[in-house]
Amino acid sequence: MTQHRFRGLKVGVLAIPTAAALALTGCSGSTTTGTEGGSKEFSLTFATSNTIESPFQELAEQYMAAHPDVKITFNAQPNDSYDQTVRTQLQAGNASDVIVTSPGSGTGRSILPLVEANFLEPLDDSAKSLVPVGSEALFGKDGKVYGQAPEITVVGMVANETAAKAAGVSEFPADFAGLEKQCSTLSSSGKSFFALAGAAAPNTGLMAMSLAATRVYAEDPKWNEKRSNKETTFADSQGWKDSLEAVKKMNDAGCFQKGAAGAGFDAITKGLASGTSVAGFIPGPSWKQLKTAAADSEFVVRALPAQDSSDKGFVYASANYAFSINAASKNKEAAKAFLAWAAEPEQTKTFAEIDGALPVSGLESYDFGSGAYKNVGDLIKEGNYGPLPNSQWPNSAVYDALATGVQGLLTGQKSVDQVLQAMDAAWG
Amino acid sequence: MTATMQSKTEAADASRRGRRAPGTARKVRSRGGSLQFGHWWWALPGIALVIAIHYVATGIGGYFAFTNWTGIGSFKVVGLANFEAIFKDPTKLGALMNTLFLAFSSVFIGNVAGLVIALGLNRVLKTRYILRTLFFMPVVLSPLATAYIWKYIFDFDGPINVFLRSIGAEDLAKPWLADPQWAIWTVLVVLVWGSTGFAMVIFMAGLASVPVEIEEAAAIDGANLWQRFWNVTLPGIRPAVAIATTLGIVQGLRVFDPIMALTGGGPAGATETLATQVYKQAFALGNFGGGAALALVLAVIILFFAVIQQRLTRSNPED
Repeated sequence: MTQHRFRGLKVGVLAIPTAAALALTGCSGSTTTGTEGGSKEFSLTFATSNTIESPFQELAEQYMAAHPDVKITFNAQPNDSYDQTVRTQLQAGNASDVIVTSPGSGTGRSILPLVEANFLEPLDDSAKSLVPVGSEALFGKDGKVYGQAPEITVVGMVANETAAKAAGVSEFPADFAGLEKQCSTLSSSGKSFFALAGAAAPNTGLMAMSLAATRVYAEDPKWNEKRSNKETTFADSQGWKDSLEAVKKMNDAGCFQKGAAGAGFDAITKGLASGTSVAGFIPGPSWKQLKTAAADSEFVVRALPAQDSSDKGFVYASANYAFSINAASKNKEAAKAFLAWAAEPEQTKTFAEIDGALPVSGLESYDFGSGAYKNVGDLIKEGNYGPLPNSQWPNSAVYDALATGVQGLLTGQKSVDQVLQAMDAAWG
Repeated sequence: MTATMQSKTEAADASRRGRRAPGTARKVRSRGGSLQFGHWWWALPGIALVIAIHYVATGIGGYFAFTNWTGIGSFKVVGLANFEAIFKDPTKLGALMNTLFLAFSSVFIGNVAGLVIALGLNRVLKTRYILRTLFFMPVVLSPLATAYIWKYIFDFDGPINVFLRSIGAEDLAKPWLADPQWAIWTVLVVLVWGSTGFAMVIFMAGLASVPVEIEEAAAIDGANLWQRFWNVTLPGIRPAVAIATTLGIVQGLRVFDPIMALTGGGPAGATETLATQVYKQAFALGNFGGGAALALVLAVIILFFAVIQQRLTRSNPED
């Protein structure tokens, strides 16, 4: 009898801290409130990095307006901790029903590692039909698709055309030598060609990848595949060496604003909106946000000039975000109905307009006309575009090695070979 | 007179309390026993939470140091591979060196400055209460919030560079937090600024226990200011020195938020510490196993230096 009591006490002693630990870490299963099958409620999580309403939220609000019986709970998360938050919630079983993810495997929110851990639900044919050509491997495996692309994001640079003209840049440089010359001219007049957030790793990494577009991926769009098969390495790639050498040349030519190495993202917004800098390495849709800060300026999306004007042009244009459904969701039907609605051409067009991006469907017949994407229209129509390279890299450490390495190039702490070797080491 | 009477009354009470009436001994003992039992049960929720939060969580985290877990999904036990990777990676070794440099430098400078301020504000000075508050203020303020203010001060367009330009020293203006040579020193300045007030308060508490009479006696015997400090004051505040340096080292070794806010570990890892690396590996780069291994290394280093430091500064070997 006494033994029984002691056993009970021991179990209690062990159970209390365990229960407390579970309660404290939030491991208490899904918190969704709907009922199995018939619920019209679901939750949506997405990243935000400013006070402007997220396009994901705006689209969902339109869905609620069109379907008054549906209730969507928004779980906006700060962009810098989004990956970690989503992963923790998925692990704990209390993530939102619909999650905004990224295609590929290069970031913490990427689809492939989440599929590997059985956290995402396979999607319907409507999602399959929106996967951009050539990006199938980034959206799932074994013929199943786990992400629905909402738009095509062009990543090159966003330029303030009004500021460029005011600074004497009547024609955008056609090659790298022309770019260096323009940089020197602008630098001597107290301005800069580029506004760079040198202390923000995502920006330095994006710059290096933009330089690699024409030096690596224009001639060899399957370079990442070769790297995966160990047929090449970053350190052995002349294209990657040239890309990072170009960073040093741009720095020497005064292409960046003074103090760029220590600048944050605010330097880009400030520089482009005020016109003290002409361009920045930021995703295409940013043109629309910049327009709200400087309504009198014209912002356009451009591809970075190649080494020589005769080199093949190339720009990154791909679905950088995706809607995914949490495999542990109790409101899958409601979530799938929303995704089916969002996949309709009318909605894909609306979403692209809200975000200032290109629509995920009907790109071949898209009228680039005189809009923000007029300068990259030919490249896209000719098929000279591809997905962001890091979406195909095996982990986020490779991109981190590139981004921090570029910081080291700017400050003179690292050599090109050191950066490329670090990227190879991170690839594993 | 009142005091004498009071002490007599207390003595009488104590004497009465000490006396036991015949036959009451067993009752008192049994009441004492039940009280003891009750205390044990009352502590159980606290004990359980401490075990769950500190020991169970730490133990599980320590286990993951020997796995290749990415933070999600399944994992494999990889033995000491994560530790081998740490000691082969120049970035991690650089982070280790930075951690030790920042911890010991901030403790040394912060404690010297704290002691000087404590001595200066110990007596005499009329404005000492206001000054004490001002010097202690950085300890009370949020380290993250103040780090952002410092970030603005050290910014390329910030007040320091504006001042340098205004006096014609434009060549000295630089992006302080992005300069490979200067970044670590700017971080050190912020850490010392934040820790000096804490050391000052501990030293002031220590100084209060140093008898004025001995200092006066030493002065009458002809001891100068330095001799009085070295032979009377410093031995008197030795326990305070032990506390201030131990807490300072532990705090300095695990410093995280000011560095993340100021430099994020940059430029190119120049201000990376073990704590920032733990965060990056575990949460930003999805290498939870590597991050846990680093955290374990950091915990061992903190324990090692805390023990060494305690042994070096304790005044009595039997303490």
